Amino acid sequence: MPTINVSIKDLNMLSAKEFTYEELESEAILLVKGEIEGVDGDDIIVDVKDSNRPDLWSTEGIARVLKSHYTDEKGIKEYKVEESDIYLHVDRTVDDVRPFIVAAVIEDVEITEDLLIQLIQIQEKVCLSFGRKRKRVALGIYDFDKIKSPLTYKAVKPESVKFIPLEYKVEMTLKEILETHPKGIEYKDLLKDFDKYPIVVDSKNNILSMPPIINSQYSGKVSEKTKNLFLEVTGTDLEDTKVALNILVAAIADRSGKIKSVTLDYGEEKLVTPDFTPKKMKVKFDDIENITGIKLTLKEMKDLLEGFCYNVKRAKDSLEVEYPSYRQDILHPIDVIEDILISYGYNKIEPHLPEIATVGDLDPLEVFCEDVRNLLPGFGAQEILNFTMTNIEHQFTKMNLEERDVIEIANPVSSKWSCIRSWIIPSLMEFFETNVSQEYPQQIYELGDVLILDESAETGCHTVKRLAWALADKESNFTKAKQVFDFVMKSIGLEYEIIEEDHPSFIRGRCARVKVGDRKVAYIGEIHPQVLENFNLGFPVCAFELNISEIFKLKK
Amino acid sequence: MKDLIRSLHPLERKVIPNLKNNITLKELAESSNLQEVEAMRALQWLENKKVLSSKQNITEEISLSDLGTKYLKKGLPERRLLEQIKDKPLQIREIKLDKGEINIALGELKKKAAIQLGKEISITDQGKKILDKESLEEKFLKSLPKILKDLSDEEKHAYEALKKRRDLIITKSLKERKIKLTDLGKDLCKEKIDLDLIESLTPQILKDNIWKSKDFRSYDVKINVPQIYGGRRQPYMESLTKMKHKLVQLGFEEMVGPLIETEFFNFDVLFQPQNHPARTMTDTYHLKKPVHGKLPDELVVNRVKLAHEEGGQTLSKGWGYKWSPEIAMQLMPRAHTTALSARTMAKGVKVPCRYFAIGRCYRPDVLDATHLIEFNQMEGFVADESISFKTLLGILKQFAIEVAGAEEVRFYPDYYPFTEPSVQISAKHPTLGWVELGGAGIFRPEVTNPLNIDVPVMAWGFGIDRLIMFKLGIKDIRYLFSQDLKWLRQPRMV
Repeated sequence: MPTINVSIKDLNMLSAKEFTYEELESEAILLVKGEIEGVDGDDIIVDVKDSNRPDLWSTEGIARVLKSHYTDEKGIKEYKVEESDIYLHVDRTVDDVRPFIVAAVIEDVEITEDLLIQLIQIQEKVCLSFGRKRKRVALGIYDFDKIKSPLTYKAVKPESVKFIPLEYKVEMTLKEILETHPKGIEYKDLLKDFDKYPIVVDSKNNILSMPPIINSQYSGKVSEKTKNLFLEVTGTDLEDTKVALNILVAAIADRSGKIKSVTLDYGEEKLVTPDFTPKKMKVKFDDIENITGIKLTLKEMKDLLEGFCYNVKRAKDSLEVEYPSYRQDILHPIDVIEDILISYGYNKIEPHLPEIATVGDLDPLEVFCEDVRNLLPGFGAQEILNFTMTNIEHQFTKMNLEERDVIEIANPVSSKWSCIRSWIIPSLMEFFETNVSQEYPQQIYELGDVLILDESAETGCHTVKRLAWALADKESNFTKAKQVFDFVMKSIGLEYEIIEEDHPSFIRGRCARVKVGDRKVAYIGEIHPQVLENFNLGFPVCAFELNISEIFKLKK
Repeated sequence: MKDLIRSLHPLERKVIPNLKNNITLKELAESSNLQEVEAMRALQWLENKKVLSSKQNITEEISLSDLGTKYLKKGLPERRLLEQIKDKPLQIREIKLDKGEINIALGELKKKAAIQLGKEISITDQGKKILDKESLEEKFLKSLPKILKDLSDEEKHAYEALKKRRDLIITKSLKERKIKLTDLGKDLCKEKIDLDLIESLTPQILKDNIWKSKDFRSYDVKINVPQIYGGRRQPYMESLTKMKHKLVQLGFEEMVGPLIETEFFNFDVLFQPQNHPARTMTDTYHLKKPVHGKLPDELVVNRVKLAHEEGGQTLSKGWGYKWSPEIAMQLMPRAHTTALSARTMAKGVKVPCRYFAIGRCYRPDVLDATHLIEFNQMEGFVADESISFKTLLGILKQFAIEVAGAEEVRFYPDYYPFTEPSVQISAKHPTLGWVELGGAGIFRPEVTNPLNIDVPVMAWGFGIDRLIMFKLGIKDIRYLFSQDLKWLRQPRMV
């Protein structure tokens, strides 16, 4: 969801329409799935929610849709591309590292401040999100007057060539750039697996750039004095690079300039870019009516789509639509149908509640859990709710236990939340620790999830419901815990057997394991003073933890 | 007066005969044969009844500590040292003093120029003088205990000097409460108050029918009582349960599922391409242990794979990349409950159906007043022939009114990778104003087709936390998982 800076004045100029802020906010900006997040003078900050439409991530892109919707210039905007003899040879050495390049030239561009701002914005947003931080695509813009065709895109040894990178004064080898230039350091991971790095050179052997890292200071610097632009996009997928190039070319050409083609020589195959030939899709009338739920005449459909940058023809039982070459988000007719709805206006549709006969129900285990939860406030116990994320120290070390295997997070935000709990009593102990200054007795419980590792399970573990109860009080003891436990078990209606079994978290000889049939389902006991000390507690604590998922199965 | 007498507590009745002006609490307790706390309680009650007033004076008393008492008997360390070197100088190790005392003694004597330090310690003339005379400090120690404010200037000097030495003297605040009787009190003292009243009603009194012949002591029913706490359900849990019941009323069946998911159900079934930024380490948690889970039925997996690669049996072009089952097998804490919808649909559903889930989800956020590390999503889907965008809006509007108490709704175009068309819904809440409620849409054919579902399925997800926070009157989202027992215990409106 990129956020785009848009000057309202600039937007109005490009869309040939005078929008007020209110009109944009309440209606126009919805057409591009936008939401105005902030205002800064004449500038608005637009959150374009569609992470799949890089063509909308600029003032030009937004203006194109608004112009088609609100003015008479309907349908796909045409971009004339003049053929040229500008030539770029693609050397096979790039195949492993970054196989694709496409390019274009725009002459007689009037480079204004607004355009420069948008160029930077497009480059940044497209490379970051659509370009997956330059991995999928990276864009380069150059002063064409400093470049001599034919050009070559090739991969070379990191120390074999030198050039002055952008904003620097000294020549550096490719290796030096990766090690010392800020952009080199930022993006060096993209090239770490390769022994040759891609460069673009012209016929005079001037290096234009080292994609996807950095341009040269000589030709890769564009200012308000530049008149003719050379653009290239490199990447790992040809279609993606073509889309990105067209987005960039269209944005510039929307303001000024003459587009000229570049011939890319891939050896056996030759390619001429930019190619603005519209893409096509068929959308069945039936599908449109079924999905939208509204009846539209052919003319209405045509108007809605032509007001949304589409060209429309009628086929037998369907619409044949053409859409702009820079859109890569349309995978299925359903994507065109959504555009019909957006063009129509969501809020003009009268919501209709369908009659669908279904019977609602709660999950039986969840119902059982609620019943059990409701047993405990009667004893004065306060229900609490904890995160399931915790850390090894709380789960085991502070509980006087050896570390055990648990579900561990690979990328924790904080070491405090680095694993998922395998039992709940530690959460209760932590709660007591936080509340030492509150009045005693403190009686708390939680019925929630724990995760138990099991390599043979579908998700490598089981999500298990457990009930944990604890009492911190000067008169807290085994009897109290067993009384509450017994009441719970009798309420559930299960006979159980107590066996003596020690557990390091409890006092020796004051801990019991509970069995129902041959299943071990619970621990009851007085918490070990070492554990109390670890949690800074000055009152004795008794507790039990009962496997509710297991009990539920046994009861059934 | 009669009512007053009837309301007297036994403790009060015990102290009243001994009451007089200017008596102290201590004296009163002694003469009434009560403990001081009991006498104090009686006084407070009587003060509430306007029988007397009492004032507390604080005096500070200086007394000897255990060490002080010992020194008083044996002599201060400095005196004992001087005694030992009176006749001949001694080396430090020859001096007989307890450990710790030597340094103190040397320090004190050095300060007073009473000794000369060299290889040996020798007494000075000044030292001899000191030895002959009792020092101010010693004199003061002998005179203890004393009241601080009564000290003479000389004594004050000695007091300050001794205070600097550790553990010799103790200064204690003595609280003394003095009583003054009001006119009512004076009158009361003249009354006969030894009425025979029933205090607590006991089984014995009932059995012996004593209550028929005796009066009960009146209580002060306005008196404050200590607070007690009833155990309660957790308020956020309670709100979630209420929402569940609402959804059941609307015909929804509950879905449940694992907290740890394969990427397959969290992303792949939902047509999120495997190189999508939302699948990276910054946007979702990944697991260190266990790393891989298992994929379901090969048939389903293959259909999902084809949908990603070239659209499968739908009219879709697909994403056009090579789909990897290894990535799909990776495990992660569930990032959204849509994974549950995916799982439920994959199991096979009978059309028509309505499903919902309120489930725990995980996203790598830093815990603060507006972000939780774990949160609950409310989510569901409806599968039926009659589902279209128009009916989707109808269902959403019903939710907004029934679940969120909205007065008006507005719809905005939105983007979710797994639905098309997609919509965001905002509701006008009577007090909160316009609130973003959540998102919805119709599942893409690339989602439903591989799962063998051939009717449109509308999916929705609501952010319910903001509404619950408003209902519970909290501004800090962490209170949904409150660790504050005081807050949890406080009475809440039912």
